[in-house]
Amino acid sequence: MSPRPAPSEDADSFLPLPTAVFHILVALADQERHGYAIMQDVAERTDGKVRLSAGTLYSAVRRMLEQGLIEELRDSPDPASADERRRYYGITALGRAVALAEARRVTELLSQARAAGLIPRKL
Amino acid sequence: MRAPDLYRVLLWCYPGPFRREYGGEMLGAFHAELRDARRAGRAARAAIWVRALRDLVPTAFREHRHVLMQDLRHALRVLRASPGFTLVALASLALGIGANTAIFSLLNNVLLTTLPVREPQSLVLFTDPESSGVAIGSQGGERSLMTYQEFLDLQRSSTRLSSAMAASSSLHRVQARLDGGEPEEIALSLVSGSYFDTLGVPALVGRTFDGTSEPAEGSAPLAVISHDLWQRRFGGRPDVIGRAIALRGGAFQVIGVAPAWFFGETVGQRPDAWLPLANLSAILPGRPWLHDVPGTVEKVMWLHVFGRLRPGATAAAAGAEANVTFKQGLARYYGTLPDPAARQGFLDQRLAVRPAASGATRVSDFANPLWVLLGGAGLVLLIACANLGNLLLARTTARVREVAVRLALGAGRGRLVRQLLTESLCLAVAGGLCGLALAFALRHALIRLLVDPIVLPATLDRRVLLFVFVLTLVVGLLLGLLPALRITKTPVATGLRDQGRGIAGSAAWLRVGRVVVIGQLALSLPLLVGAGLLARTLLNLQRADLGYARDNLLTVRVDAQGTGYQPARQAQAFEDLLARIRAVPGVRVATFSNNGLFGGSDNGDQITVEGYTPKGNGDRGSSYDAVGPGYFSALGVPVMAGREITEQDRAGSTPVCVINETFARRFFEGRHPIGLHVTQRYADQQHTYAIVGIVKDSRQNRLRGRIEHRFYTPATQPAASISEVSFIIRPRGDGADVLPALRRVIQQAEPRMSITRSGVLSEAIDRRLSQDRMVAQLSIAFGVVAALLAAMGLYGVLSYGVARRTQELGVRKALGARHATLMAMILRETGWLLVAGLLAGGALAVGAVQLIASRLYGLSPADPVTFGTAIAALAVVALVATWLPAYRASRVDPLVALRQE
Repeated sequence: MSPRPAPSEDADSFLPLPTAVFHILVALADQERHGYAIMQDVAERTDGKVRLSAGTLYSAVRRMLEQGLIEELRDSPDPASADERRRYYGITALGRAVALAEARRVTELLSQARAAGLIPRKL
Repeated sequence: MRAPDLYRVLLWCYPGPFRREYGGEMLGAFHAELRDARRAGRAARAAIWVRALRDLVPTAFREHRHVLMQDLRHALRVLRASPGFTLVALASLALGIGANTAIFSLLNNVLLTTLPVREPQSLVLFTDPESSGVAIGSQGGERSLMTYQEFLDLQRSSTRLSSAMAASSSLHRVQARLDGGEPEEIALSLVSGSYFDTLGVPALVGRTFDGTSEPAEGSAPLAVISHDLWQRRFGGRPDVIGRAIALRGGAFQVIGVAPAWFFGETVGQRPDAWLPLANLSAILPGRPWLHDVPGTVEKVMWLHVFGRLRPGATAAAAGAEANVTFKQGLARYYGTLPDPAARQGFLDQRLAVRPAASGATRVSDFANPLWVLLGGAGLVLLIACANLGNLLLARTTARVREVAVRLALGAGRGRLVRQLLTESLCLAVAGGLCGLALAFALRHALIRLLVDPIVLPATLDRRVLLFVFVLTLVVGLLLGLLPALRITKTPVATGLRDQGRGIAGSAAWLRVGRVVVIGQLALSLPLLVGAGLLARTLLNLQRADLGYARDNLLTVRVDAQGTGYQPARQAQAFEDLLARIRAVPGVRVATFSNNGLFGGSDNGDQITVEGYTPKGNGDRGSSYDAVGPGYFSALGVPVMAGREITEQDRAGSTPVCVINETFARRFFEGRHPIGLHVTQRYADQQHTYAIVGIVKDSRQNRLRGRIEHRFYTPATQPAASISEVSFIIRPRGDGADVLPALRRVIQQAEPRMSITRSGVLSEAIDRRLSQDRMVAQLSIAFGVVAALLAAMGLYGVLSYGVARRTQELGVRKALGARHATLMAMILRETGWLLVAGLLAGGALAVGAVQLIASRLYGLSPADPVTFGTAIAALAVVALVATWLPAYRASRVDPLVALRQE
């Protein structure tokens, strides 16, 4: 494995993030989850407006693992309920930095749009 | 099928590594989604399916691209790691693919070019696309070329054609002054006014001819020039319009420039300018070729006629209609002939109509040698691929441990095969790209090998690109095939266990390597045999017995059509010229003949021979020539019986002729011909000659084939008026320096005659051989390269085999085996490779030479000398390649070898 630069340095190079990637990072921000749990969390949080298919999820997961945004856990965080087939993923420091950078980017866009009067102060 | 099973099938759309890694998880998640949606009803479950299917294509595509990029990076890393191998591989592939592409692109031009004109598919041709020149006389059956009058009739009467055009079937080279400059030779195409309109070719600058009606004879002399001439002689300036091209018979005004891509209607030809047929008398004075003169049976057939079909009209309908008009014309022209049999013969002519998208061609006979060369180049590439494949295989074998480890760690064999194929395809694609670039240079070099370079448009069209693409793909797969097969057969345990020897699985590699080497030897032999046969053919042709000494003979062809002489005066003028030529210092002997030697002209007529009953219709014709006094002695053709033609054979004296040996054998079997008579017939004319001599057979135009039976009449007693003759001069000493003096004498004595050709005969003959020479040279190159490649393959396999057996050889040495014994052992063991290769190659060669049998001259396809030499050469090369590893084996130091253990 080649050494990665510090998270803050290259977080911006990931932007803008694909929607699926951002949602996965958000889903993993508070707790580690397995794939299906990520799908459920995204659907709940967005009131069913965003639904990831298994294909989209795992294609993104494969890429995010390679980019070091998330990591696969060796052990299930909840040994009692562990389904042996299920693999759990957690967010990495780089993943957090990238999610934060993306949130900042979107906020900035929003405030620019507000300043221009494109969007009312309160939505 | 249950839902999870169906989804499992869909998972196969993803690449193996991804499927193995995440397939189970995806299936689980999909299953859970469906299960949770059970309560929500059918619509929710349907939505899940829709989502899964919608996402399948982009995600599967992304994953495949990802794996491909990984493989590519891996392949590039591996190739970069061994730059020597990569360079050799790239160079051989670039050369191999380049040579094949160059030859194919020529073939593509020769056979498949579509005319660069508007909607070429709706063009039809009423003449034979391969015919060219000027035929004066008559023709039975299918008509090759048409007369101007016949074209006008067809153009006037056709309802199925939107337009029709005619063009001279060969270019006419004339002296011209461009824009007041010095005289220079330019190549002209004579065309009807409708030429450019029918083809749908607009002018780049200025305009083309007015296509609405055929101009009247002698109307304003106009010219459209080629883009090339415009650039070359007028510097590409737009003020070229209105400039003059001055010919002997008048000045032509440039009215337009054709586009750069337009080469005319004939592939292989590139005129400098297009001039109206209606101005023929100013372009080629003295040639009454625009009229079918009533009362004679001689037609001047020299035009290709094209038509453009009206929308909805078929070629067959246009052909039927054209034939009706054509037959009416024939009936008008020949209908008055008194002899019904002769009349019927002349009336029995028809036009064949053909699709003309690819135009007429002057290069069709070039296709056969190109096919031969493409076959040779293909074989060389195959042999080179085998070598590279062997090298790749050796490297794979060296990596067997790596492979075995990866297999043990769970990498799929499919993935490894895919990686190897990516590696070989990388090589092939890089080689293909270099090859494509190289192809243009090679193509140029190929054309340069011909003494009379043919003119073909060098375009990179879809067919050539497709050819390179397919070739590259095939090469890539061929290269990757051996290593990939090997990988799939590597048992994990062998690879891991076999660490002490370094390279594992090598026995298997050697087995495959040997089969490949046998194949290479087998493929090289036909190439060597072919090269030998073609090289000997060339030698035979160069030494072919013409019946006279070809060296140190000059010919000067003179055209008297511009003089306006009556036939008798003309014959006298030629004799006077001969006397002047004979008086030129440095001329030893001189004579002349109507046909000349190796200039392409010949005469033939119907004859009856005294006391001979023809065996059918094909037995009534003979070639003939009209010759000057002392023709045979000047040329050096021996007179076998009787006398030759002399100054005493004059217009008023008894008509005489001399026959060649073939003529004598054919018509006078067992009889003495001298004093008997030959009657020459043409329509209702006939001339009878008494045979006064028999001369040895000699060749006039063709190096190949049987010598035709021929009779010679005095030029002073010709059956038809002779307007052109070739003076044949044998100078003292080296000769070519007499030529300027000869030209001067002719021009001074007869300023109105034009010299159409002059030069050294052996060079003219040499030009005839340029195609044979090119094929022979390239075949030799292919044969040598193939043999060397096969030797390299053999050397590689044997060296490797010896290296593997170092220990065994060391032990044998330690036990007292001598150098010679060890060498003999290795040579014996490898001898069967050679024998097997040669046997298989011999069988292949016997079949392959049949493909070039028609190109051979003076030897049979199974020529034992050539076969023997090729086999011996290949055996020697192979033995040298074997000897070195064997020698190394015999020098193995037992101590060193055993220490390795």
